Amino acid sequence: MRGVRNSGPRTPVSSFNGSTVGAAASDPIVRLFESMRPDLLRFAHWLARDRAIAEDIVQEALLRAWRSREALKDPAAARAWLLTIVRREHARLYERKRLELVALDDGVEPEGMPSPPGPDSELDSLRGAILKLPLEYREPLIMQVLGGFSTAEIAQELSLSSTAVLTRLFRARNKLRTLYGLTPAPDDSESEGVA
Amino acid sequence: MNHSEARLMIGAEPRSSSAELAEHLATCPECTQFQREMTALDNNIRRALEQGPLPVFGPSASVTPISNARTTRHRKRAGWWPGWALAASVAIASLLVIWVLRPTDTLAHDIVAHVEFESASWSSKEPASAADINDALARGGVALDMGSDRVMYAHSCWFHGRLVPHLVVHMPQGPITVIILPDEKVKHRTSFHESGISGVITPAPHGSIAVLAQGDENIDAVARQVQKSVHWLQ
Repeated sequence: MRGVRNSGPRTPVSSFNGSTVGAAASDPIVRLFESMRPDLLRFAHWLARDRAIAEDIVQEALLRAWRSREALKDPAAARAWLLTIVRREHARLYERKRLELVALDDGVEPEGMPSPPGPDSELDSLRGAILKLPLEYREPLIMQVLGGFSTAEIAQELSLSSTAVLTRLFRARNKLRTLYGLTPAPDDSESEGVA
Repeated sequence: MNHSEARLMIGAEPRSSSAELAEHLATCPECTQFQREMTALDNNIRRALEQGPLPVFGPSASVTPISNARTTRHRKRAGWWPGWALAASVAIASLLVIWVLRPTDTLAHDIVAHVEFESASWSSKEPASAADINDALARGGVALDMGSDRVMYAHSCWFHGRLVPHLVVHMPQGPITVIILPDEKVKHRTSFHESGISGVITPAPHGSIAVLAQGDENIDAVARQVQKSVHWLQ
């Protein structure tokens, strides 16, 4: 998927393809975008749950960002801007292709089997549990915690009401509480209230 | 604000500090405890997310029922346990919850996880541009007294809620990773070995510096050399 793009000759495709070369390397906006790549990849990876798909999403997002670079008025806002483009690219891909994602349950160990001991086993369990959250809960959680988006920003991006976003964030964490043997808090929010 | 509203707010934004919520928490120990638990959980969620998803969906991707086995056993015995034992078990369970919700990993582990996620950085062949290096260092509020031709990778990375400089420097013994951690205070110099990576975290004037290398080599000397090369601009 990567490498071949219908972009104009002046678009520095190569700069978004792993190695920054040529005149584009000296372009501050290219450097800025490239410096965000690991963050974008991590963000996309959590959304897509697949490293290869995440890399494609980031590649496409960076090209879109390059084409729309005039819209970025403040370089300090680049991270949030790029993360938004990545999220939209993921949504676009998800809607367009209805990707056949790995069924996480297939990889789940039988209940009762001890997990390998180690200082990170609890964190690994949490990572696994986050991956198993439905996208409607995982997405706002990732946007909030990893992306640094406010509830209002998430609501705007997901076309939801602020109440709906709060409910989804609450439910996401409430589900993860059980991982620690804590009783889930009563969920009194009957509906989310769509914007 | 009632219990339900408070818990919805805490669950959605554990660090919320609205006046309305603060007023409720002042008179509600249950919701205060709930906020304490959710804040601790949120710390772990942040650490988990910053590490990236599990590399392979295998057994380690499962949700380990951390306390289910323990609680199941407790339930079976509760019927014949005397009252004092039950009270003691409740106290122990409370401590267990606090222990389980502690930060589950060390700074060293988080750094190794971060580097593993960007493992391609080790194999960078071309020196990073001076502009990239300067950008990354400037965001961390540091300067590096080292030839830029030795820096093969320079990125600003999101780590523990802020952008930090992540460099790979070519040294005679091979590539080493240097991560400047402006807000991470450590009391002592710490060495570690994890996942085939050796590292040293050293205290610095405004945070700490992590130096990592692949393999089990002792990198104390390299770490000291790097530490001397980093100048804090704040």
